[in-house]
Amino acid sequence: MEPFIVRYRNLLVLLILLVAQIVGLAVQVRRTDSGRNLVDLQDGPGVRLIRLWAEAVVSPPERLVHGMKLGTVSLWQDYLDLRHVREQNQDLQKTIDRLRLEQASLLEDAQQGQRLQALLSFQEKYVYKTVAAQAIGSSGSDQSRVLYLDKGKDSGLEPDMAVITGDGIVGKVREVYPHTAQVLMINDQTSGAGVILETTRIRGILRGNGVGQLQIVGILADQRIQPGEKVLTAGGDQIFPRGLPVGVVEKVVRDPERDSFIDVMVKPAGHLDRLDEVLVITSMQPRFSPEEQQDMAASEALKGPEVEQAKAQKKAAEIMAERLPALTDPNLPPDEQPLHETAPPTIMAHPPQAIHPDRFTPGNAPTPEGLTEQPPAAGKPEVVSKPGQTLAPAPGTPKAKGPAKPGEPPRRNP
Amino acid sequence: MPVLASSMRRDMEIRRYPVLVYTLVPLGSLVLQAWLPRLLPGHVWFDLPLVVTVYFALNRRSPVQGTLLGGCMGLFEDALTHHAIGVNGIAKTISGFLAASVGIRIDVENHTIRVALNFLLSLLCSGVYLFIYRFLLGLDLDWSWFAELFKAVGNSVIALVLFPLLDKTQIRD
Repeated sequence: MEPFIVRYRNLLVLLILLVAQIVGLAVQVRRTDSGRNLVDLQDGPGVRLIRLWAEAVVSPPERLVHGMKLGTVSLWQDYLDLRHVREQNQDLQKTIDRLRLEQASLLEDAQQGQRLQALLSFQEKYVYKTVAAQAIGSSGSDQSRVLYLDKGKDSGLEPDMAVITGDGIVGKVREVYPHTAQVLMINDQTSGAGVILETTRIRGILRGNGVGQLQIVGILADQRIQPGEKVLTAGGDQIFPRGLPVGVVEKVVRDPERDSFIDVMVKPAGHLDRLDEVLVITSMQPRFSPEEQQDMAASEALKGPEVEQAKAQKKAAEIMAERLPALTDPNLPPDEQPLHETAPPTIMAHPPQAIHPDRFTPGNAPTPEGLTEQPPAAGKPEVVSKPGQTLAPAPGTPKAKGPAKPGEPPRRNP
Repeated sequence: MPVLASSMRRDMEIRRYPVLVYTLVPLGSLVLQAWLPRLLPGHVWFDLPLVVTVYFALNRRSPVQGTLLGGCMGLFEDALTHHAIGVNGIAKTISGFLAASVGIRIDVENHTIRVALNFLLSLLCSGVYLFIYRFLLGLDLDWSWFAELFKAVGNSVIALVLFPLLDKTQIRD
């Protein structure tokens, strides 16, 4: 008779393996206060070690295969398929020139917006520093939509950093390994991001469904939500900066579980299933990056004399406005300025009587005729102004900055 | 005596492979499973580690080896996801055990049987995965049986091409 272990060896091995894995699963899942089961967001040391091993085994061949693919594509695109490249170059150069000008003006607007926000004590975080990374792999499963990047802790990546492309958001960094990182994509069932509809300003939570579509859940039925409306990040989740494109509304469907709620299906702005290069936002600061500051300085230099002339004109106008305080009131909006008043002007009171009247006292000023025809008084030298010669100012009057030019309005003392 | 005869017949039919094939093919299947979905957008309509598990379990005809191989492949797949480790492990452990157990009793040279077995084991693997996730762990999961059916068909097609290629690598006495 065969021993029990030998006879049932196959079944025993199966049983041991199954029990070990079930126990391992039980360790990873916990029950919340609300009675729901959840997988721990942070892996335990043992689980993390297994993931690290798997990543260490799979990642190098993935890099190799990915590198071979890039090499083949590069060989084809850079050396073999070069038709119409010259025309494309010219078109692109024109586009770059146009975009530079547009960017410069937009940066100035943004800078002005920042100043206004600073005045309002409102801190808006701007994307300050990003790290470009290549997507080298995935989980290989529809149930887990994750990406593997070729950059990790050694490049400054950390968990919960936002991952984006030029088109829109992609996901967030979930796990960071020494040379790679795992990114949880926004169309996974367990992901979540705060979003806002651009026109209607309705907020919701974006998540993925079983087939990898994006949907905004938990929104009360609203007739204003129409297909085509843009969806942006709301910025409240502390991961994605506010205002990044997410996608556009594709359709609105009724929530199958709650009658008064709807699910908004969203078409992603980025090609989530064809990602090659992504950007990881490693730092968000309330100021411009050095590159943007350089761009702004370059645009200022490009504009050169025109900007200086405009600034000088603006300065002169401001000086004039300061010297004419009665005409404008900086504390009032334009339509409420004194010049725009519709009420009859008030009659000014007579100035007080001077204690020691002189020739400048109102009413005592000599007429021009009197000045030309009256001979000089005895004992007083005649003062004759010559071209290029300035007269000494009267005591108590501000010093004049220069001779008046033809056509310039007469200066008035403030 | 009949047991000995049966054992001898079984031993003669066990296929052997070079160590490189036995290590590189499972590893290659894991790498390709993680890499190919990026090239082929849309649904992941294949499960290469399962196909390789079924192949080696069928041809080695050892339930222990099939169980261990399936368990390792499943755990590796789980480790690459962000889900709990062990769901795929259990599903593929059972698949490997069943494939090896069936392989002892059927003619593994028949392509139709191989493809049919792949199809059935793929659906079984999906069913076990769903059972563990929803009922054993009590977690929420959106599920599409249509996608799983599509995956089972994909696995069968891959098996139809891959199995004859791998047959050529076996060591013949």
